[in-house]
Amino acid sequence: MKEFSAERLERLLDTVLKPSRYTGGEMNAVIKPFDQADITFAFCFPDAYEVGMSHLGIKILYDIINRRPWALCERVFMPWPDMADGMRRENLPLFSIESRTPVNRFDIVGFTLQYEMCYSNVLEMLDLSDIPIYSKDRTDGPIIMAGGPCAYNPEPLAPFVDVFQIGDGEEMMVEAIECVRACKKEGKSRLETLRALAGIEGIYVPAFYQPSYNEDGTLCAFTATDPAAPAVVRKRVVLDLDAAAYPEAFVVPYTEAIHDRIVLEIMRGCTKGCRFCQAGMLYRPVRERSLETLLRQAEALENATGYEEMSLSSLSSGDYTHLAELVCALTERYGERKISVSLPSMRIDSIVKQSLEEAQKVRKSGLTLAPEAGTQRMRDVINKGVTEADLIRAVTDAFESGWSTVKLYFMIGLPTETDEDLQGIGTLAQDVIKAYFSVPRGVRAKGLRVTCSASTFVPKPFTPFQWQGQDDLPTIREKQARLGEILHQVKGVNFNWHEPELSMLEACFARGDRRMGDVLYAAWENGCRMDGWTEFLNYEGWMKAFDDCGVDPAFYANRPRGEKELLPWDFIDAGVTRAFLWREWQKAQRAEVTPDCRKGCQGCGLKRFEGVCADR
Amino acid sequence: MKMLVIFEKKERLRHVGHLDLMRAMQRALRRSGVPIAFSKGFNPHLLLTFAAPLSVGMAGLREVMEVPLSEEISEEEFKEKLRSALPPELPCVAVRAVDDRHPAPMALLGAASYLINIKENAGPLIAAIPALLQKDSVMVIKKTKSGDKPTDIRPMIYDLKAVGEDSIACTLALCEAATCKPELLLDALAQEAGIENRPPVLCVRTQLLGRDLTPLELL
Repeated sequence: MKEFSAERLERLLDTVLKPSRYTGGEMNAVIKPFDQADITFAFCFPDAYEVGMSHLGIKILYDIINRRPWALCERVFMPWPDMADGMRRENLPLFSIESRTPVNRFDIVGFTLQYEMCYSNVLEMLDLSDIPIYSKDRTDGPIIMAGGPCAYNPEPLAPFVDVFQIGDGEEMMVEAIECVRACKKEGKSRLETLRALAGIEGIYVPAFYQPSYNEDGTLCAFTATDPAAPAVVRKRVVLDLDAAAYPEAFVVPYTEAIHDRIVLEIMRGCTKGCRFCQAGMLYRPVRERSLETLLRQAEALENATGYEEMSLSSLSSGDYTHLAELVCALTERYGERKISVSLPSMRIDSIVKQSLEEAQKVRKSGLTLAPEAGTQRMRDVINKGVTEADLIRAVTDAFESGWSTVKLYFMIGLPTETDEDLQGIGTLAQDVIKAYFSVPRGVRAKGLRVTCSASTFVPKPFTPFQWQGQDDLPTIREKQARLGEILHQVKGVNFNWHEPELSMLEACFARGDRRMGDVLYAAWENGCRMDGWTEFLNYEGWMKAFDDCGVDPAFYANRPRGEKELLPWDFIDAGVTRAFLWREWQKAQRAEVTPDCRKGCQGCGLKRFEGVCADR
Repeated sequence: MKMLVIFEKKERLRHVGHLDLMRAMQRALRRSGVPIAFSKGFNPHLLLTFAAPLSVGMAGLREVMEVPLSEEISEEEFKEKLRSALPPELPCVAVRAVDDRHPAPMALLGAASYLINIKENAGPLIAAIPALLQKDSVMVIKKTKSGDKPTDIRPMIYDLKAVGEDSIACTLALCEAATCKPELLLDALAQEAGIENRPPVLCVRTQLLGRDLTPLELL
């Protein structure tokens, strides 16, 4: 058994990279007496401190739990590999930032799953905590929970996690901790507690379900085996976002986080219906926060943090009803205090020139646009309702307003992609450069920088592309090389791409079933962790794990699924119906677009949720 | 008008680097609502100056920074506002209002006192103190950007004594002309004691001093 010692920890901290990742003491960190709380919750972010501290969900839930006088929530991050190794050497258990309490002393250990390639870190963090990795091996100790977007296909982690929370966490989390608190008070067993949790809408307890498989390896049936377990787990939706809890203070890190600023979540959900986009499907329906609420939150957060930057967060900020008013009000209020306002994740069809000019009053950041594909046909396939004219108008506006750095995001390996679509990316980049030079010399800013970034398409559950096979590695490499060649001929463009191996692994987990859990365990035993960091991706370790488990990655990554195939996540009701997704998949193959549902209901299935979208 | 702020950087924050600490202070000043002066120019920022950056790994009991103000404010009000804006690990100990012509704290700096707790095998190092003080010259290797440089640190040791069985209190030169970091003193003691590597320590800078060894904040 590992044993915590402050003395040994301090000595170790003197020898590791960026020790302030582990030492806390930040402004607004919540310090409560550990032993006086009815329920203690270790919020685990399975990636480095600076990544976790940039994440909005943890801020929201940390606040919600800590607002309750009887509950305590502390943060835990994945130690950097040098620290993880040092902790094993020194026999130190993983501990929370705030009170340095070993993770295995908490009542609940909750992981947020933002990205498939953090799964090996979940296993590593359990092991560093001296918590048995497989759920079936745990008879006491903390209940392991998980939530976040990846929980919508929980199956690859089903062998390790006791309880999944599916959907918006604001209300579900409160119900979950209240439930565990009541069970603890009544002295209920672990099994009884899990049964009680399974009764909460949105909660999935994997131990209460049993999959069976066909001879060809596909899923045959997925059955609830416990009376407490619902046959279908329906995602939770916070109907009134404006009334939902939002922190009035963020923990302000010392060491710089990736996103180190105030974040205002202006809206949740997106109605555009891009067919590759999982978030666009999962976070439906669209809910907005009012101007009044946002300005109040901005003021509270600015006073509590002293940040010099504010950003607006949503899947499609340009669609926010009061965007122009909001940006004007924020720049007016905070410009004098030298606080800049940035607008990330702008869709190119929605850039309001006025907003750009307002935002730029204080400080200027680069402009990021995501046309996603190079030709109109391809954009129609993915239902990215954007034309080349939209893009060129947007960048021209930006260049006229003094921007000179543009990042363009594309995907390769999309369904029905041909060489013409790759060439289209080159043409688009060329046109952006032309647009820059069309702006008179005195008006445009100097130093044009255009970056084209091409990621590999990963088919995700609950999207119309969930039936599509991913391109295999040789095909992806060929397309990357081809695109490199094309962009090489466009003067003044930088080209970035991602490791295709990583995208392949991501695809395996995105649509994996429980058998992927064994691959994950084997890979972790082979030393795989921090897979999302290029320098730590141990591809050989992964391939050996697939081999040893007798699992073919192509079965999960590259195999197209049929209309009748039972998918591992079909037992979850994510709002959008399978019928809608299939309809969209058929339209995609015909390159037929589906308009934004604000212009008319497309019957995606969300109407079943108490009229949240009916009032549009 | 400028405000001298004397603050503590507690042990828990000893790994927070100087730039990170500066950013934390800037944000605390923003939160506090005191009337701070911004730099002119394209990216306006707060013009904070610190007497001397603390090395990563070291805590500080009475660190000094200077905050330029855009309006007059009383010391009491400033201190109260800043106090509530600082995290518990970074408390404001005292403030002192000075006029704009007051020299920058960096320019007044001459030395600093330290308390060094030796974590392992302290005996031989502590025992080497008297012998070291007897010497007229103490040569150690100082690592600089232009390579290793033999340096005589004896004239830079203003005070040196044992505290209990495993700690050392010392006052060492710290200014532009000559600086002796506590590590160099430990190297010298290890050398004197015939120990190859200096042991792990926890070092706290207890006081910044002027050239005449008056506490910096009183100058």
